[in-house]
Amino acid sequence: MPSTPPSPNRWNPLETLSPGGWIILIIAVISTGAVLVWPIEKTEGLQLWTFARNHSEVYENILDRRNREAEQTGQPKVTVFTIDGPALNRRTLAGFWSGTPVADLIEIERSAISQYVSGPIENVGFTDLTDTIVAEGLDQKINPPSFSPWTSRGRIFGLPHDVHPVLLCYRADLVEQAGIDVNQIETWDDFAEVLRPLIADLDGDGKPDRYLLNSWYTAQGELEALLLQAGGGTFDSDGDLLVASEANAKVLAQFVAWTLGPDRIAIDAPDFSASGNQLKIEGKVVAQIMPDWLAGIWKSDMPQLGGKLKLMPLPAWEPGGRRTSVRGGTMIGIPKATEDFDAAWAVAKDLYLSPKLAKEMFQTSNIISPVMELWDEPYYAEPDPFFSDQPSGSLFIEQAPHVPFRSSNPFHVAAMNRISEAATTLYGEASEGAIVPLDQIDADALLPRAQELLKVAEKRVLKEMSRNVFLRKELGITPDGERIGEAVE
Amino acid sequence: MSSRSRYTWWAPYFFIAPFVLLFLVFTVYPLIYSVVMAVKQYNGLQVSVFVGLENFFNLAEDLEFRKALRNTFVFAAGSLFIQLPCSLGLAMLLNRPDIRARGFFRMIFFAPVLVGLAFVAVMFGLIFEKNTGLLNVLLHDLTAAIPLLPTWDKEFPWLQEYVMPALILAAFWMYIGFNMVYFLAALQNVSKDLIEAAMVDGANAWHRFLNVTIPAIWPVATFVFLLSFIGSMQLFELPFLLLGPGGGPDKQGLTVVMYLFDQGFNVGRFGYAGAIGWVLAMILFCFAMLQKFLARRGEA
Repeated sequence: MPSTPPSPNRWNPLETLSPGGWIILIIAVISTGAVLVWPIEKTEGLQLWTFARNHSEVYENILDRRNREAEQTGQPKVTVFTIDGPALNRRTLAGFWSGTPVADLIEIERSAISQYVSGPIENVGFTDLTDTIVAEGLDQKINPPSFSPWTSRGRIFGLPHDVHPVLLCYRADLVEQAGIDVNQIETWDDFAEVLRPLIADLDGDGKPDRYLLNSWYTAQGELEALLLQAGGGTFDSDGDLLVASEANAKVLAQFVAWTLGPDRIAIDAPDFSASGNQLKIEGKVVAQIMPDWLAGIWKSDMPQLGGKLKLMPLPAWEPGGRRTSVRGGTMIGIPKATEDFDAAWAVAKDLYLSPKLAKEMFQTSNIISPVMELWDEPYYAEPDPFFSDQPSGSLFIEQAPHVPFRSSNPFHVAAMNRISEAATTLYGEASEGAIVPLDQIDADALLPRAQELLKVAEKRVLKEMSRNVFLRKELGITPDGERIGEAVE
Repeated sequence: MSSRSRYTWWAPYFFIAPFVLLFLVFTVYPLIYSVVMAVKQYNGLQVSVFVGLENFFNLAEDLEFRKALRNTFVFAAGSLFIQLPCSLGLAMLLNRPDIRARGFFRMIFFAPVLVGLAFVAVMFGLIFEKNTGLLNVLLHDLTAAIPLLPTWDKEFPWLQEYVMPALILAAFWMYIGFNMVYFLAALQNVSKDLIEAAMVDGANAWHRFLNVTIPAIWPVATFVFLLSFIGSMQLFELPFLLLGPGGGPDKQGLTVVMYLFDQGFNVGRFGYAGAIGWVLAMILFCFAMLQKFLARRGEA
């Protein structure tokens, strides 16, 4: 019997797609399957994120031993990840905002903390450590001012890594060559007067190119340190705005006057830049406002300056005034999402309270520990060849208890930005001769305009605060940007 | 209907499905969701409050946003009215048959666009430095060598007080050759017959440029104009890397997209960032309409 020919309408699966179509489909199916079954690499134990390579190098040394012991005791191991600062913040904030995974321990830099506490206190992504710290007596063990940058509305969200007191670093070789005695310097006015002979035209073009202080009206870090030294800043410990305070106006006027006119003493030699470092090496900068961490960076970046520098307390704003300030800082926080708070807290304490860490941080980065009982360690008192054999550690430690309070109000960064804008406006107007003729510029002449600009800046901060529907009531601001009562830091 | 077409009617849909799915998830949904976000205030992504049009009202009063908008428009003006005419001039120059090694010069002028923006930002950061920057040192040494000229100040504050000229200069270096390529392509399509006819009629070079070349390249010119404008309005990487996230002193280099990024991803004000995004989108839409209108008018 002859076989029946296949019906032309019968479905043949192979003809459904062209050969190319089948290849694409097969690849799609295989790759989808592969992605689905591919094992997600899991990191064992706890993760620690830091933004500073010098921190992670020291931590890894310390944690290696701890991890070996952990293997025997069954405790979780700790893995340190170094992530670039902005990337770390973005990833951490994204984790807090959206619930994606973050590390168990995270180091946060001072300039970023406002972002983490910008909402209602119960929504902060870090664990509130206040009660734990007090219960364990760490508030007595650690330098008290070091907690302030990490405290919002009375609650502490991190363990402080440092103190970062500020001294004045000066070119001892130039000063001694000119026969100047720096013991005559007590205030910033003395500083300008006593060291003025060192301003010099080194290249003979008729314009000075060596100045007394590395500072510029755009240098927010130096400006903040000086505002804090004078008792100003952004917010006080009660959460009240200080933007338009008299202390701020005085500092702002002086800060700008240093960069202009006959009283100019400042040069713009930015930190962390090759050109700025070149100016320092060439001797065009006589003095620098120097926190302990910056001393460490100078040692590694400009070894040529070794033996030519000395440290002294900052000149005060008034006779008998504060001879130090504070700049920068780091904390370690524990996200609420961590699965093992106790283990993370134990690691945080093991690291930050460790005598070994204190020693290594000082020896590698010149950073002094906030743990007060370690301040008598001999390595802090050793002569430092970079600073002409002065005991740099002891000099920083002498000032550590006197570092000023720093606010971590959610609007701290906004307020500091408004103050910087006031500085820029003041400089612009002064340099155009719109306040007084250029040859009459000094701090007294700029003071009234500085006061006006800071009042405008304060109003803008209040307005910005009033726009935050989550915080305006808590911060005591009406929707129109007026104060309605006592605010709480 | 053949058996093949009968059984494979779904194949095109099947193959287009991944794109449609991704487009819906990553373009259409975010677009719609950004409208929802723009009428809310956020603290993180999990806590939000409906605020109606408050974000837009706040934006209208926001001095920083105004500054960012002004900076962006100034940069766009610099790109459109300095860079594009120069690109056209360069294209005309390199379109002349009597120029030797035209291909080489075209490549040289186009080359900067091949360099990454991050690299350009780092490079111009060094060029514009005070005291030690290449530009200030060069100008200082040159002017010092010429007796009648006042000596250039080595402390000239490019990145402190002359931020916008610095940005326009950096973008000029980078994009002049890129836009030149568009104009070059358009110029090569200008009818030689028309130009010769105009010459026979006694038209001088300027009249030929105005009445023959410009109408011929008009559609391309309006397209390049729109492209440059959109690019300028979206300016982000160059000032971000050259001046920092805040846009430098007094926020002279802050652009709308930088402000959007800052408000959204640094401050966490997603609603406000959404409102900024929509204002930017509306501005771009208006200019796209203007370009369409101008292009049609040119064709007519």
